[in-house]
Amino acid sequence: MRWGMTVEMKRCIGCNACLLACKAEHFLPPDIYWNRVIVSETGKYPMVTKHIYPVRCNHCAQAKCVEVCPTGATQQRDDGIVWVDENKCVGCRYCVMACPYQVRTYYSDGDKEYFPGQGLTDFEKIGRILYPHQTGVVGKCNFCMERIDAGLEKGLNPGVDREASPACVIACPTSALHFGDLDNPYSEVSVLIKEKKGKPFHTEYGTDPSTYYID
Amino acid sequence: MIQARPFEFMVKYTPQREWIERRGILLWLAFFFIELGAGLFFVSSFFNNLWGLLIGWLICAVLGGGTHLLYLGHPFRFWRIFISSGWKTSWISRGLYFVSFFLILGLVHMGLLFWATPATPLLVVIDIFAFLVIIYGGFAMNYVNGISLWNTALLPILYVVAGIWGGAELMMATALATGATGLGIAVEEWIRILLVGFIILLAVYLISVRYGSLAGGVSVREIAFGRWAPLLWIAVVALGMALPLGVVILSFLAGLEATPVALLYIAIFCGLIGDLATRYLILRCGYYHPIVPSSVYAY
Repeated sequence: MRWGMTVEMKRCIGCNACLLACKAEHFLPPDIYWNRVIVSETGKYPMVTKHIYPVRCNHCAQAKCVEVCPTGATQQRDDGIVWVDENKCVGCRYCVMACPYQVRTYYSDGDKEYFPGQGLTDFEKIGRILYPHQTGVVGKCNFCMERIDAGLEKGLNPGVDREASPACVIACPTSALHFGDLDNPYSEVSVLIKEKKGKPFHTEYGTDPSTYYID
Repeated sequence: MIQARPFEFMVKYTPQREWIERRGILLWLAFFFIELGAGLFFVSSFFNNLWGLLIGWLICAVLGGGTHLLYLGHPFRFWRIFISSGWKTSWISRGLYFVSFFLILGLVHMGLLFWATPATPLLVVIDIFAFLVIIYGGFAMNYVNGISLWNTALLPILYVVAGIWGGAELMMATALATGATGLGIAVEEWIRILLVGFIILLAVYLISVRYGSLAGGVSVREIAFGRWAPLLWIAVVALGMALPLGVVILSFLAGLEATPVALLYIAIFCGLIGDLATRYLILRCGYYHPIVPSSVYAY
């Protein structure tokens, strides 16, 4: 089993719902994003094309971040999910450097508030209890592995059942994001990749990413 | 449409920041001091100079190790590196092992040199570890294949030459301070070779990276003609290369004894400034390739 994701770029409208769903799911502090929506424009007026790319950790099969981590804080599970054990991270940021996709974030300021000087909101207070983040460590997308694990325990199917799927996938209003098992040739993601010729970013780095983009 | 945050950095060539900005500046100093200290120890071991060995050991342990620990987000967790199997693939982990073995064995060697007869096989082992300490930083950066400026085999070689050159310069300063003229003449021969080697290597390195990839070209343009160009041309080329080279030529033609001591000290100081500035430029101008396909770059 290897969890993966597909992104249908023609469906993405750049609404940032995935970004906000991720922030809410993981109670991410201000200025910390585990996924992002990047936008570029090419051409000249009146022939301008806008390109929208939702990006997140690619959970590479040959993850550079896992290889360079000196303490084993960045780990890869048998299902391909790459995650960070904050209790083991020394904050050397070698993984931030080694990731060619620039999707890792270093938490440098744990006291930052969403509304500076006005105290923590109820959301921030509850987040520090339910999903505490340490300062001085590196964080990244974990494909909502807590949701996947809990869903599997209940006999649900990640990528099919909403309760067992990543927050960004179920929040997408245009269904541009799909999640599933890349090793299963009949899963939705495998079929999409095969039929619509999905491609990962920068295969030249030899990382074998698990996120595929479909034009 | 208003974006929550503009992520233009991912659609353009993006400089790395974590290893040079804010506390990242400490890592720049850490690599410099670690390699300079190990370089001085390495050079001193060939002359059995206890002062050089001690100063090199202290620079490596106190300045290098100290800045390394201060840089970390959680310095008191560094022991976790020892209980992890990260050394199999991580150069940071390997580097900590190299530095630890080097410092422990170096201390034993200095004790033997001071109180008894040093063991030659031990010195050979220590020198191997000193060499590994000098080179591991280059390999750690070389492994980052997203940054073309670093992902070249010439980088570790450049760092080795720079580390030993810096060590030889400090050895020369030690010889001048202790009045050991014979030692100074011997070290001067090292410096001549290493300085010329460093100049040639840096030029070859920048030229090869320039034509190696688009991101490499962006990095080298930034170093040579961009915002950081004054640092290259003034600190590296004029102070770090031209001035020491002039002094080396003068001492070669007139002899070391005839060269003013103040000029030698100035050349040593400028050489170290050049080494430090070179490392800064390499860290500061490390550019990532844009994450999105080349057909949709923002410009």
